[in-house]
Amino acid sequence: MALDLKKLDGIGWQENGQAVLSGMALAMLRRLDRLFLLWAGECGAEEYRFPTFIEAGQLHKLDYFRSFPHLVTFPVALDTSPEHLKEFSRSAVIDEAGVVQLGKCAPVREVLTPAACYHFYVLFQGTELKTARNLTTVATCFRREAYYRPLERQWNFTMREIVRIGAAEEVKDFLADYRARIERFLSDIGLPVAWENATDPFFDPSRNPKFLAQKLEPVKTEMVFGGALAIGSINFHRNFFGETFDMRRNGEAAFSGCVAFGVERWLYAFLSRFGPDERSWPSALRSHGIAGDLANDK
Amino acid sequence: MMTEAEIRQKLREWVVRQSGKIRPEELADDTAIIEKRIIKSVRIPDLILFIEEHSGRTIDVEQLKPGVFRNIDTIYRNFFAVKAHGPGPEKA
Repeated sequence: MALDLKKLDGIGWQENGQAVLSGMALAMLRRLDRLFLLWAGECGAEEYRFPTFIEAGQLHKLDYFRSFPHLVTFPVALDTSPEHLKEFSRSAVIDEAGVVQLGKCAPVREVLTPAACYHFYVLFQGTELKTARNLTTVATCFRREAYYRPLERQWNFTMREIVRIGAAEEVKDFLADYRARIERFLSDIGLPVAWENATDPFFDPSRNPKFLAQKLEPVKTEMVFGGALAIGSINFHRNFFGETFDMRRNGEAAFSGCVAFGVERWLYAFLSRFGPDERSWPSALRSHGIAGDLANDK
Repeated sequence: MMTEAEIRQKLREWVVRQSGKIRPEELADDTAIIEKRIIKSVRIPDLILFIEEHSGRTIDVEQLKPGVFRNIDTIYRNFFAVKAHGPGPEKA
């Protein structure tokens, strides 16, 4: 059944790739994230809340701008010299196409967070981990795309991640446990999801050895709903972040892995599969705390 | 023509030389060279060239399957051992 989001209450859409959620849709989104947070609690993950910006210099260490220049969004501010501010404030500011005539800009040193878990590797940079660290955070992530669709593909969207940084086997066990955990849940509620090997969305992939490495030794498994929509992924980073940010475990470069949930996409999958009326949803959703009295959710 | 032992030895030497962080005695034929990032992604094109040069086969990158470069064993099996059952495509 195709989902007509335009007929649903609580989902507004802006053509620049941004959704406005309210009512049941917002309550549902919160319930989903609460569920993911509950799962994060099962491994004792410490919860963090990070700022919206991340230093460009840190992402540069990951070769981010060569790998994903098409996705990146920068926060831009005006040059603060009094002359320029005066000039800007007295100008037309915006042209007929809605384009701001910025004039001189302040130097750009930040990026709007493109993936929630990057903040952890920057935070634990230069540390020796006495034990494996289990972590979780949720972030509004920003990615420019060729096209946008409500809930499915947005310029900004909500990403919950559960992360472990540790030794290779510690990380592999963590990822395997979470995959089993999620598989049980999906089977319990009857949400059909295929697990598929995938690669990160590299720019010009055929010329990027990182793409080739991911193809040869898959490190990303996506949870694919409806044959095309990745609602989440399980990622084994090997010791890439450990080496790049000098995080060590047992004296060697730490390994890391993350379980990522695109929360709006989960919302889309639930609405597509179970319909917009929660009264008709299967009872398993109630037992997992996702459905039931959504209208009264605060 | 090189024997299997010579080919494996050459591959091990190349991996140790390129990695710059592993000692020869630490590298077994079943050591996961990409997963452990002994060979980093940026070196994979060089590995392909090295295999092409020593196997006399052209490698079509589009056709490479997951796992073929996992370790020395899989590289030997996929790009050298098959010669015993007939020659692969000759390098142009």
